[in-house]
Amino acid sequence: MILADLALTFGMLSLIAFGGMPSVMPEMQRLVVEVKGWTTPAQFIQLFAIAQAAPGPNVLIVSLIGWRAAGLPGALVALLAVCAPAAVLSWWIADLWERFKDSPWRRAIQRAISPLVVGLTLSGGYVLCTPAAPDWRLWVIAAGAATAVFARRVNPLWLLAAGGAAGGLLLSG
Amino acid sequence: MQVTPPRTLTELFTGFLAIGARSFGGVLPWAYRTMVEERRWLTQADFAETIGLCQFLPGPNIGNASIVLGKRWFGVPGALVAFLGLMALPFVWVMALGILYLEWSANPIVRAVVTGVGATGAGLFIGTALKLGKALVRKPAALLLAVGCFAAVGVMRWPLLIVMPLAIALGIFFARRDWL
Repeated sequence: MILADLALTFGMLSLIAFGGMPSVMPEMQRLVVEVKGWTTPAQFIQLFAIAQAAPGPNVLIVSLIGWRAAGLPGALVALLAVCAPAAVLSWWIADLWERFKDSPWRRAIQRAISPLVVGLTLSGGYVLCTPAAPDWRLWVIAAGAATAVFARRVNPLWLLAAGGAAGGLLLSG
Repeated sequence: MQVTPPRTLTELFTGFLAIGARSFGGVLPWAYRTMVEERRWLTQADFAETIGLCQFLPGPNIGNASIVLGKRWFGVPGALVAFLGLMALPFVWVMALGILYLEWSANPIVRAVVTGVGATGAGLFIGTALKLGKALVRKPAALLLAVGCFAAVGVMRWPLLIVMPLAIALGIFFARRDWL
């Protein structure tokens, strides 16, 4: 049953997405492409691109994956599955977190998470721009965007537009 | 600054609808603009605190923020209404773009442009990670954790369900020893 499969896969991702969706992008790619075969590696980066270019939370990539796998019901199930478990958790933790404001454990957990988020977000970027065999053209585009973000504050929309143009020039041949 | 939380569920819904509808290129700046500057639902400090919590919680940050804020103002109905308001228009947008793309994806130029946008998005992740990572450079234990996660998940492609608990346990161990 593909809807149940979508719900389980994205529900699990929801609960381990510490630091937000970028942290689970590499795992999402692995599950969707390698384990479940819902998209090819090339399709995955294209769906990711659409979710980036559209307004709204980037989490909406899961709707596109669900849609490819099982149509509109798949899109809705995937979005709910990726949001609901985390939402329930936020519901409970928001109060608890406030109560343990001065606990040394809270500070330890907070500090433990940030290097993980860095490592996982980096993995997400690397995995996305290396869909199959390493392709220098994708790496050049990604490196350009990474440098721009790292060096200064730029509106990501300009970067996405520039990256699209670069893709049109470099990749269509 | 004088703040007044939304008085009705309708107000809450239209506020989050406005955030979702305009949030090209990232939701956070628009959430700030709508809730703090335009509607004055909460103070800047309050906003920062809420987002800070949601960035720590698992799941989509801004989705969690809609749940936490909706709950604070109206309980369960508030959480649901805020979440639906936030997601409704972006969902329609992204599906419309997806359908449009499917229509055109046979065209090699369209495919190349979209892949270029995807590679740029990947670059945004990398740039953000490097920015956040700057703070870790002087802490060998933190650097070790970050690089270890990248090697295990990015390069080796090990399942996150195995890597995550191990890395968190190790991180808490380091943090309790004041190495992070």
